[in-house]
Amino acid sequence: MRLSPLPSPAATRRRSLLTLLILVLVLSSATACQRGSAQPEAADQAPDVAMTFAVSPDPPAVGWSTAVVTLADAHGQPIEAARVRLRGDMNHPGMQPVLAEAADAGGGQYAAQLGWTMAGDWFVIVTAELPDGRQAVRRFDLRVRTP
Amino acid sequence: MSSTSVAERPASPRRTPIALYQPQPEVDLLRTRRLGRLLRWRWGRLAFQLPLLGLAALLVYDGLTGPQLASQNLATVITWVHYRGLVVLALLLVGNLFCMGCPFTLPRTLARRLSGRGRRWPKALRNKWLAIALLVLSLWAYEWLDLWASPVLTAWFIVAYFVAAFVLEALFAESPFCKYVCPLGTFNFVSSTVAPYQIVARDHDVCRTCAGKECVNGSAQALGCGTELFVPAMRSNLDCTLCLDCVRACPYDNVALARRPRLHEVYQDSYPRRWDVAFLFLVFAFAGVGNAFGMVPPVYALAAWLSSVLGTGNEALLLAIILGAIMVAMPVGLGLAAAWLSRRLVAGRGRGEPLRAVMARYAPAVLPLAFAVWFAHYTFHFLTGALTAVPVLQSFLLDHGIAWLGREPNWSLAALLPTDWITPLNIGVVVVGLMASLSALSRRGSRPAQMPWMVLFVLVALAAVVIFTLPMEMRGLQG
Ligand code: SF4
Ligand code: SF4
Ligand SMILES: [Cu+2]
Repeated sequence: MRLSPLPSPAATRRRSLLTLLILVLVLSSATACQRGSAQPEAADQAPDVAMTFAVSPDPPAVGWSTAVVTLADAHGQPIEAARVRLRGDMNHPGMQPVLAEAADAGGGQYAAQLGWTMAGDWFVIVTAELPDGRQAVRRFDLRVRTP
Repeated sequence: MSSTSVAERPASPRRTPIALYQPQPEVDLLRTRRLGRLLRWRWGRLAFQLPLLGLAALLVYDGLTGPQLASQNLATVITWVHYRGLVVLALLLVGNLFCMGCPFTLPRTLARRLSGRGRRWPKALRNKWLAIALLVLSLWAYEWLDLWASPVLTAWFIVAYFVAAFVLEALFAESPFCKYVCPLGTFNFVSSTVAPYQIVARDHDVCRTCAGKECVNGSAQALGCGTELFVPAMRSNLDCTLCLDCVRACPYDNVALARRPRLHEVYQDSYPRRWDVAFLFLVFAFAGVGNAFGMVPPVYALAAWLSSVLGTGNEALLLAIILGAIMVAMPVGLGLAAAWLSRRLVAGRGRGEPLRAVMARYAPAVLPLAFAVWFAHYTFHFLTGALTAVPVLQSFLLDHGIAWLGREPNWSLAALLPTDWITPLNIGVVVVGLMASLSALSRRGSRPAQMPWMVLFVLVALAAVVIFTLPMEMRGLQG
């Protein structure tokens, strides 16, 4: 079996660079069209709603903490009867998230128990389904300590 | 065609004195029925590379377009939890399987077929110094950029790999990327010194009369060894990518992937007596400790202290100092000190021995311990998080309107083992590694000369054990 004659090194290098260019173009266009879920906050439909998040003990330690979320509208009036869900993730991949649904404590306050499994950096995504049908999504970063 | 046929020769181990340092090919993976045929097949490597190429494309795609949360993106989960865990498991059980299936070499192979004879890799770089530097540099970049926390950076890291392998291959005649550049390759090469399989010649007499040495030179039909290893002279897995090009190139079908006693090459004196090789082994050991140290609380305290002493909050600089001390200054300084003491402690003639020779004799004994430290760390992440791939894949599919794996990701899946088993397991691994290293040490030189190394190895193991008992905080340095 004989191989076909090899192209000149210069031609090869040109072709290599061309392939490289195409690769980079394809990839950067992929970056441009990020999927909807790329940033959780992007799902926020209610930027006018004020949301706060507090944990006790603060700072939280490995084990259980109570988290309280408050919701208020643009006029500072508490929002009641929302459905509030929380999801805590570590910033390292491969860790189990903590998921909780908060109970309506009245007066625009919603409380949930969060069980931190490991010390380190966590972020909590709070999703509130508002009575008006919109969804408010916010992210809160916190550091969990070793007890 | 030559009439030399391996099958016709009566097997006689006595005929092969040259092979004393090569394990006998009694169990040969290449002669197993199905797997052996697949491995020896002309496109055998491609059969492993294509699935991995597809996986790499998937990771890049999700990394660039998916959720930018490390725990919910395939790029970060598969790369930092699964890839690393499975690589060390494969190294322990078989050998350098990742390099065998490496997708980065695919565009490279294309470039190579196109480029024909390019330049040779510069002589000054034909050693392990660059590989050591790039290994340390990549571990520094990993911490500095918090690569593990960023899907998009992880994706670009994969892309950079393809580009680098391609460019180097297009420019140079041999395959310098694997042997002299690639930090993953460096990691795999050094780790595969403790692997239970090795490429060997089946019959050394055949090699002696072989004119073409196609395994290394290649032929019109097949490529020779890209990292320029010569099969009958191979004493070690170092630099072997398990590409099996030698197997396909040998006209006498004289290459085996043989099972060997696990520490065969570490027990023998299998390595070139060179500074770069000895330091590579020591740096690899200390880098394993340093990489794990980057995840536990004392590193934050150390960084904060350094930051106040130096009056700078520059994370790149602080990390460079900390990692430089652990991964470069310590192995070099302590290695030289141990070698110097070793030489002092032997009586008579041995005192005139060059330090390089002393170093080259004892440093390789660190290999089992070094691998154990990396193995413990990477299996920690794998065992605590392997099953998170399921919900991440489920949500990836659901994002694309595919409900094959259910309509609701099961986020309660994570650990493979109860998490409180994992730390004792890690410590056990380090202890076994230390025993193996001490046993390798006891086979080299004289007893007094072994002492400084014994102390050094025990200290490395102790540091690793302390780190593994601390909580892994897994956060960025300046978070
Ligand atoms: S090609 Fe290599 S392995 Fe095969 S017989 Fe010749 S020297 Fe030995
Ligand atoms: S010796 Fe060379 S050609 Fe053979 S498997 Fe190893 S790297 Fe490939
Ligand atoms: Cu880690």
